[in-house]
Amino acid sequence: MTLGSLRRPVFVCGLGETGVVAEDPRSIAEMVLQAVQAAYADAGCTHADVDAVVSASIDLLDGLTASNIAVTEVVDAVMKPETRISADGLAAALHAAAQIAAGSYDTVLVVAHAKASMADYEALTRWALDPIHLQPLGVDFLACAGLQARMLAEDDTGAARRWAEIAATRRREGSSAFSGQCSADEILASPLVAAPLRAGMCAPLGDAACAVVLSVQGRRTPVRLAGLGWDLEAHSLGDRDLSRWDGLARAFGRACGAAGIGTGVPVFDLAEPSCLYPHEEELFRKATGFGGETLISPEGGLFPGTAPVVAGLSRLAAAARRMREGGAKRALAHGAWGPAGQGQAVAVLEAQP
Amino acid sequence: MNPVAVIGTGQTRHARARDDASQPELVREAAARALDDAGIRPRDIDAVVIANMELFEGRAWPELWVGEAAFAAGKPCLKVATGGTSGTSGCIAGFHQVASGLFDIVLVVGFEKHSEGHTQTGMTLTDPYWDRAVASGAVGNFALSVSQYMAERGVTELQAAQVAVKARRNATRNPHAHLQMPAITVEEVLASRPLAHPLRLLDMCPQSDGACAIVVASGDKARKLNPRPAWVKATATRHEQPYIGDIDRRLITMRTLRDAAREAYASAGIREPLKELDVAEIYEPVSYAELAWYEALGFCAEGEAGRLIEDGVTEMDGELPVNPSGGVLSTNPVGASGVIRVAEAALQIHGRGGDRQVEGARTALATGYGVYAWADVIVLADRP
Repeated sequence: MTLGSLRRPVFVCGLGETGVVAEDPRSIAEMVLQAVQAAYADAGCTHADVDAVVSASIDLLDGLTASNIAVTEVVDAVMKPETRISADGLAAALHAAAQIAAGSYDTVLVVAHAKASMADYEALTRWALDPIHLQPLGVDFLACAGLQARMLAEDDTGAARRWAEIAATRRREGSSAFSGQCSADEILASPLVAAPLRAGMCAPLGDAACAVVLSVQGRRTPVRLAGLGWDLEAHSLGDRDLSRWDGLARAFGRACGAAGIGTGVPVFDLAEPSCLYPHEEELFRKATGFGGETLISPEGGLFPGTAPVVAGLSRLAAAARRMREGGAKRALAHGAWGPAGQGQAVAVLEAQP
Repeated sequence: MNPVAVIGTGQTRHARARDDASQPELVREAAARALDDAGIRPRDIDAVVIANMELFEGRAWPELWVGEAAFAAGKPCLKVATGGTSGTSGCIAGFHQVASGLFDIVLVVGFEKHSEGHTQTGMTLTDPYWDRAVASGAVGNFALSVSQYMAERGVTELQAAQVAVKARRNATRNPHAHLQMPAITVEEVLASRPLAHPLRLLDMCPQSDGACAIVVASGDKARKLNPRPAWVKATATRHEQPYIGDIDRRLITMRTLRDAAREAYASAGIREPLKELDVAEIYEPVSYAELAWYEALGFCAEGEAGRLIEDGVTEMDGELPVNPSGGVLSTNPVGASGVIRVAEAALQIHGRGGDRQVEGARTALATGYGVYAWADVIVLADRP
């Protein structure tokens, strides 16, 4: 397996987010426009400086086929190259970075958008599962997460308490447009949604858009996208070891290889994982080997609330923002999609001296 | 862009309904053939790109289900979905990922199983507030812009019928093609059922079940694995604004395709496309579109497209054979259709075109068309 490094440098130049709310009354285009304008203002650029666009969205959630058509005008893709990746938004950013490294474009706008309020998101995720063996069972992504959590909790009587503490802590660290803080005891008293996962353990899903400007020109930014990796696991839960995120371990290895750093060394001082449930944070730690030296989700990660697809790109934005403020020298941003983390994506970000 | 080449291609048998194969089985059929053609094994693949329009089958993230069939388990895999251009955009994504230095070999697989869904879900691409109430799908939209195009450029129903016949006759040389109509005549096309004036049934592409795959390799690997790699000389993409009323005839005259072709020709050093290209595989969902795109692609001046088809310039034995495969008019599994264009163009460079081989093809064009006049243009050649 070839682990190549990027042929040209890629810098994170502009960040723009709407923030997450339970229900945003605006159209997809209006939300994306706000994120794009913020990212341009942050990067000090305009549409004219952008060579190409990569977007991430879900047709079934948006109720649109080729759902990037909803944003063609607000991302100014008219008479421009545009690509749509249907995965987590971080994966779209990684593809954009590959385009820049290939020398095809100098500056690429990356956009991710989703409005969970427009549909029953969990019901929709049934339509992502094998329609012959899994879909007829009524299994959705939440049920898959529950099965994964149950496997981890099998011989671990302290798991539920520990997960409740993680969820309570993460909620306390972030600001949320959803229900406020709650204690671990309250979380343990909340209803089971996919045993052993309880309602209070799950990151609430809402509406959001996120835009990031990536460029080979990095004069205005101290953050470089130094390494990237992504991975697709086997689909069926029975074909995987659910007690591990092996796909993340592989993606992490590729990203570190591309960035020219060894794994297993505590060289990351910040991690922004995409964990919708507290047991996923433990899977993330296991796959990356991150321990006490790495600050994980200092603003609560996804637990204060997130939106599908937007989650991973918002992690990249959160990590880059903290690095600009001098809060970290090397960070890992993470995105995931599919049942029980079938799809995994990571970006290694490095602060420029 | 760093040197990148297509070194293997594979496609399924395409048909109205492939009841014998599930979606993953279609994907595997094409992917395995592409690997065989390239002379590589699954472990040689570094990453996979999948192209498909998920709403046509009502799937969310279809790569999750079909990924293993594309040899993607445990590997980097992303899915590209941009309407009809999904296939060509997926190929371009594969080219970029190899050229970036990340990977040496990327497998691109496009697929669609229309028999398990409905293409009219395509109507949802219209703006729900302004356009959906008057949306009419591909046939209605094309009828509108084709009428304008005919009025402006003097193209006739007879000339369009000649395109429809050329495609289906070429398809008889292609064992993979869906429609097999060896006895088709211009009279039959002109007598076929009217759909929306001036379009008739045989002016339109079919709906097909099928998949197509290509193997993309970096320079060194390509030279090692294929005696005649199809080198990527240029790619260009243009998207268009999304309102029907603002598009009018641009849906078919396509400033996007014109602009993308201009950029791709400049990158590839092509000044006279009719002379310098040896073969073209263009994404023509309707007979009239092929005529309009002769003009947009610079094969002739505006208003000259009818003469090109009448003079046989784009027939198999003409100066520039267009769609020796039979084109989209003969085979249309949407997510695969763009990959088929690139695979068929590459096949010509590889010299493996069988009965549809254009003798001595050295430079080939592939295009993609999708949504509202979105365009991809790709130039392949036998030298980097």
